[in-house]
Amino acid sequence: MTEKNTQQIEMTPVEEVYAKRKKIYPRQVTGLFASFRFTGVLVLLGIYYLGPFLQWNGRQAILFDLPARKFYIFEWIFWPQDFIYLAALLIIAAIALFLVTALAGRVWCGYACPQTVWTEAFLWIERKVEGSRSSQMKLDKAGWSWAKFRLKFTKHFLWLAFSLLTGFVFVGWFTPITELTERTLSFELGPWEFFWIIFYGFATYGNAGWMREQVCMYMCPYARFQSAMFDKNTLVISYDEKRGEPRGSRKKGADYEAEGKGACVDCSLCVQVCPTGIDIRDGLQYQCIGCAACVDVCNEVMDKMGYEKNLVSYTTENALSGKKESFFRPRVTIYIVLLSVITIALLGSIAQRVPLGLDIIRDRSSLYRETDEGLIENVYTLKVMNMDLKDHRYSLAVGGIEDLRIKKPKKGILVEAGTVVTYPIRIQVNPDNLKTASTELIFYLNALDDDAISIEVDGRFLGPVFK
Amino acid sequence: MPGKNNSVPKVQRFVAILWPSFVVSGIATVLFFTAFDPDEVIGCVGGWDISRMGYYSVGFFLFWLLTSLNSVLTCYFLKPCSKS
Ligand code: SF4
Ligand code: SF4
Repeated sequence: MTEKNTQQIEMTPVEEVYAKRKKIYPRQVTGLFASFRFTGVLVLLGIYYLGPFLQWNGRQAILFDLPARKFYIFEWIFWPQDFIYLAALLIIAAIALFLVTALAGRVWCGYACPQTVWTEAFLWIERKVEGSRSSQMKLDKAGWSWAKFRLKFTKHFLWLAFSLLTGFVFVGWFTPITELTERTLSFELGPWEFFWIIFYGFATYGNAGWMREQVCMYMCPYARFQSAMFDKNTLVISYDEKRGEPRGSRKKGADYEAEGKGACVDCSLCVQVCPTGIDIRDGLQYQCIGCAACVDVCNEVMDKMGYEKNLVSYTTENALSGKKESFFRPRVTIYIVLLSVITIALLGSIAQRVPLGLDIIRDRSSLYRETDEGLIENVYTLKVMNMDLKDHRYSLAVGGIEDLRIKKPKKGILVEAGTVVTYPIRIQVNPDNLKTASTELIFYLNALDDDAISIEVDGRFLGPVFK
Repeated sequence: MPGKNNSVPKVQRFVAILWPSFVVSGIATVLFFTAFDPDEVIGCVGGWDISRMGYYSVGFFLFWLLTSLNSVLTCYFLKPCSKS
């Protein structure tokens, strides 16, 4: 006995983390939270699959056009220069996730994470083909037969088709989807488009069809650190041990209190519905993704028994132990303040963004040249980016050195909306006006029709070294 | 060398090597190609005729190769030295 025990203890960590996985067959649930999730899944999948087809002013409304290096989001166009906005957006998303986690625990996991959403969709297909939990288990135990093969084949076929569609739409977020559709239908996909459709499709099939809860347990970084955001006022799914224990089966209508039993009828339904295969009655565990399936199913049982609901429920540690709950804890306040500050800063700077970019590239072939008149000449290529939605003409001015000569376009540089124009210029300077071998230049660019659109960019003018 | 009590199955070790490096190379790819336009950088030295999508993808896999190499080394050095 002792020997067996020690062995078990030694084995436990290994088994827990790396045991060969037993397939989990989550039983279907109905109820309040299940319908929340169903609605959530429907909305999120709808956004994912239909989003790229949304049109705006004759183009794809939301397009992260990687081939063209431009992001279109409704009215806005973002360029690689605007990377800072993307970074700010990611920070906002992260803090929002922290805030939600501190308040309501793993609601992200239970209702909105792509892993949950697609697993839910795959489970739905699985149930349509193979039937309920018990028929799925029976099917898997049974030997191979034509009927079993047909069911399995249908399931995987549907899963794969759905996955390929997912991969296709994925690529459609990053490259114009109307043309992508045309190219797909005429078998003219580029090799990399084809590759990424397959790659993403395969990842979907693997994660939602096969890996499922293992992604949460072994691969998800959020699952590892979310508990750091928890405190005693965070909503968690919990079993009311005081009320439930001692558990035990009983006849309906029996006076269980007289029998010395608690409210838990030990039907094990909460275990059967759990997508991660745990027993919530053992206490809060890191595997619990907070999907509330056990809450729904237990409430159903309590209803049938005529008991009070919420033996398993969303609650907080403080509520369970009868302490006062508070909403605005320091960490919540800090998250909210941070979130508001960064959001306001981001919106403010987007509103003030000058939709004009200028890159100055020095001619690489020579540092400088002496002209016949004895002037020093530098050659530059200007790249003017019009990030606005209108065409603009820009006037150019250069300062920093006295009496510099520059050949300028008379009518300004015309750049169409959302395009880049490269424009070579020559700047000539009298060597007497050069104090050092490298002098700073300032390039001013401003739109002729809008004074608000103007920028200045530094450049360098190189010349011979003077004593 | 790991003996029979090396408890981590091969598959898990593959995941532990390939998955984190996948994530990191994704981030690296985004940062790298935000800073450099492959068409310009490679176009300058007279590159091959591939689309930007191709450059991104190849870049991603090169990063993945490097980062997983890193993970492999980490895994390797994590193994205890033989005590003989
Ligand atoms: S644990 Fe990670 S992968 Fe799983 S549902 Fe939560 S966020 Fe998603
Ligand atoms: S214990 Fe309950 S809430 Fe947690 S994952 Fe399982 S069914 Fe969902």
